[in-house]
Amino acid sequence: MMEFKRIGIIGGGVMGGGVACNAAQLGIHVIIVEKDEPSATFSKEQLSESLDREIAKWGITESDKRSILSRIEYTIDLHDLADVDFVLDCTPEIYDVKVSIVERLKMIIPKEIIIATNTGVLSVTDLSSKLENVDRLVGLHFHYPVPDRKVVEVVRGLNTSDRAIQVARDFVQTLKKEAVEVFEYPGYITTRAIVPFLNEAMHIVMEGIATIEDVDKAMRLGYDLHMGPLELADSIGLHTVLAWMEHLFKELGESRYRPCPLLRKMIRANKLGRKTGEGFYKYNEKGEKIV
Amino acid sequence: MKILTLNCGSSSIKFDVIETDLELIQQGADYSIVRGLVEKIGLPGSQIRYTYNGESYKDVVEILDHTEALKKIIDVLTGDSPHILESLEEIAGVGHRLVHGAEVFSKSILIDEEVEKQVDECSEFAPLHNPQNLKGVRIAKEFFPNVAHVGVFDTGFHHSMPPYAYIYPLPYYFYRKYKIRRYGFHGTSHRFVSFRVGQLIGIPREKLKIITVHLGNGCSICAIDHGKSVDTSMGITPLEGLMMGTRTGDLDPAVILHIMAKEDLSLHQADTMMNKHSGLYGVSGISNDLREIIEVMDNETEGVNRARLAFDMFCYRVKKYISAYMGVLGGADVVVFTGGIGENAWQVREVATHGLDFMGIRIDPVQNREILGREGDITAEGATVRTFVVPTNEELVIARDTVRCMEGVL
Repeated sequence: MMEFKRIGIIGGGVMGGGVACNAAQLGIHVIIVEKDEPSATFSKEQLSESLDREIAKWGITESDKRSILSRIEYTIDLHDLADVDFVLDCTPEIYDVKVSIVERLKMIIPKEIIIATNTGVLSVTDLSSKLENVDRLVGLHFHYPVPDRKVVEVVRGLNTSDRAIQVARDFVQTLKKEAVEVFEYPGYITTRAIVPFLNEAMHIVMEGIATIEDVDKAMRLGYDLHMGPLELADSIGLHTVLAWMEHLFKELGESRYRPCPLLRKMIRANKLGRKTGEGFYKYNEKGEKIV
Repeated sequence: MKILTLNCGSSSIKFDVIETDLELIQQGADYSIVRGLVEKIGLPGSQIRYTYNGESYKDVVEILDHTEALKKIIDVLTGDSPHILESLEEIAGVGHRLVHGAEVFSKSILIDEEVEKQVDECSEFAPLHNPQNLKGVRIAKEFFPNVAHVGVFDTGFHHSMPPYAYIYPLPYYFYRKYKIRRYGFHGTSHRFVSFRVGQLIGIPREKLKIITVHLGNGCSICAIDHGKSVDTSMGITPLEGLMMGTRTGDLDPAVILHIMAKEDLSLHQADTMMNKHSGLYGVSGISNDLREIIEVMDNETEGVNRARLAFDMFCYRVKKYISAYMGVLGGADVVVFTGGIGENAWQVREVATHGLDFMGIRIDPVQNREILGREGDITAEGATVRTFVVPTNEELVIARDTVRCMEGVL
């Protein structure tokens, strides 16, 4: 199995920061590339706060936090990734942003180094076509919150080599997670399966069949789920859920992926879920649900 | 011959070079030439510290991984100033501390590929330790390809426990299916101090009933009947038994299920809470270091003095186990304190043995305060059970077992 000593992550948001944390905790040195100094400072603060939350939940100690942070360095220069073992792009799922990153990486990262892009929807095949060695790009779909979610989808694009898949699998295993391999197709497994489920729960509420709380309670207790679909949608972010649905609807054209009008309405009211303090539920400043 | 001992942790390597052979072991004349510690491997401030000829040395230098760390140790051993070894050829064997040998390894063993595989399989019981120990073995084999590498297990000494001491009162199914049982730890320490106290008394441990109390970062206690461990406080992991710096020790298991449900904790969070946020630190809220707790525990404070509470709990639990093991052994001849706390914290020894006169244990208050960090008899006059302080020396056990394995006499 490949040993990862030093990795590069582009974008230190919740996903990039989460993977960085996970890796650093296991002794891997991480370089996070941000677009500018203010973003780097912001990412650093966010990461520190997320580690404080984990301390409050007894998951790590103060000294673990110091040791994790000591293994993560921030830069705004992609050239600082020239000597890493593995690169993971965790920039937002905006096509132009990812294309620009991939095009710049091909000039900097040695040809034998595998590049992964964290995406739930974008086409790995399309992005790989921007590289000289098209076969070294692989998709990885992490789930939020990264340290707690034990599965990662490893996405094989049309050009992705077996070696790239193996390196990506090794990376996932190094993070002590399970890898599932999927061929590139809209929504892979997890997004495609969860979207109609969330959408249907919203329809039940919109049609006045049951209250938000009762829909969640029924699904949670009826199917032994950790949280109900509407609370889950809040925690993912309603705008993200909408983006997934629109993508699936556009790509596959099937009505089962058509976004529920209630979802659009809530987004127009800026009720995006936990991150804005209100979605289907209300949340305090710490992101805890107000009962 | 010179034996290198290695104790590989996640960010540290303890090392020792010991001059020993069968004759020196017989005479008890084997000795450490140089001992030291590489710490903070892969972290800022990594350094190597060692003691040679009574002089202490320290070098703060970037050490990114365990390979570099071992290279640094070799540089120290073969360097010019101080000049310790003529060449690496002088190292005749390497002894490795291995934490968990489960039911597979009852004694120390020459490490070949098959053994490495089996140690790896035991990792499920010690996921933080065995993989690191094995990493040390593999790296050391690269640097010392032509000498014997011997593994000495923390669990090995406790293999003599009877089933009624090591089986948990769970459905027997779990023992059969997963080998869930008490294994015990600190075996090399309990083994060494019980052997050494026999020498000090002039009666071999094979003729004694001994309770060894190892109080350090981790704490455990062992009932040794005529040289054999018959019970010990740590269990399938080092979490059970005595209260420790950051570990709970014994606890009603239902407490954890209750807290997990109330606080919505994951398995990992609950595990970390019990291992890293509890014990002296969790109760006192001050420190996991008993010295710091003792320093402030008599200060006047309003409300509950949590430092005092932590200290009292710590000592109380030691006393409870000593008393239990007196029963297990049907009375003991000797109680031995060892480990950083056991060797130095006279306050703990005083409180933990207080009131045990009825079973023959009474320590001399003056001697107890004087014997700090060194061997000594702290028994009060008239006590029928003798109490000793014996600094542990796990490295010596590892080196001696390495020689014995190499000579085929283990």
